[in-house]
Amino acid sequence: MRVAHAAVLVLLLTAGCARGVPDTPVSEPPSVAAQPAAPQPSARPAVPATPQGASKAAPPVAKNPAAAPTLDLNALEAQLRATKAIGVFTKITLKNQVDDLLDRFREYYQGGAKITMKDLRRSYDMLMMKVLSLLQDADEKLASAIVSSREAIWGLLADPKKFAAFEG
Amino acid sequence: MNKLTMVLVPLFVVAASLAVPSYAGDDEEALKKDLTAVIALHGLPCGEVVAVKVLAQDDYAATCKDKNKYHVYLNASGRVIVEKQK
Repeated sequence: MRVAHAAVLVLLLTAGCARGVPDTPVSEPPSVAAQPAAPQPSARPAVPATPQGASKAAPPVAKNPAAAPTLDLNALEAQLRATKAIGVFTKITLKNQVDDLLDRFREYYQGGAKITMKDLRRSYDMLMMKVLSLLQDADEKLASAIVSSREAIWGLLADPKKFAAFEG
Repeated sequence: MNKLTMVLVPLFVVAASLAVPSYAGDDEEALKKDLTAVIALHGLPCGEVVAVKVLAQDDYAATCKDKNKYHVYLNASGRVIVEKQK
């Protein structure tokens, strides 16, 4: 599933920096310039209207209806690939941390972990904050696009069915 | 010094200088900023990277403003590793 690889916010970053071969040049994809503008408020999902939820409890699983359809993940992915606000090594590091978070979700859904959805939400929020901290001064447009998509992405992760589809 | 040596020595010097990418000016500043962010993302103290030595491709020795030194590199499985140096 295409959405799969784009969904987790910075998963997006993944594509932007995943370098199987370390000697890939630090260049950006040329196609990026043609990407549409950041998904603005229209990308906001039909989920609770309190996006800054670092301290809020994790939303109940499977109660984020249809978050994905309005989310322009491809545009986000392209922008994250292209942004010069984050260096290549930083992108790879963030990608590593996204992978770690996804592993934790996998464990959670497989029932083998002692973590809770609240823990996962906290980790997700922390990762978001890291990304936004890196972007907010140098690429405000992308930062706001990510903020707008934040809950939608969480909606994909926190719903076991969507996550499974995402994995598939 | 024979003729062969005279040809090879400059070649080796050039090859050696190309083997490890060098950074200058803006590139170096960008690299420092990148490594600063990487070290911070690993939750390690640094403040700001003030000097970088390129050890190899995707392999750096970073010196921080607070005197901490780190070996930052990309391992074979694609993870960025930050190791504190003494």
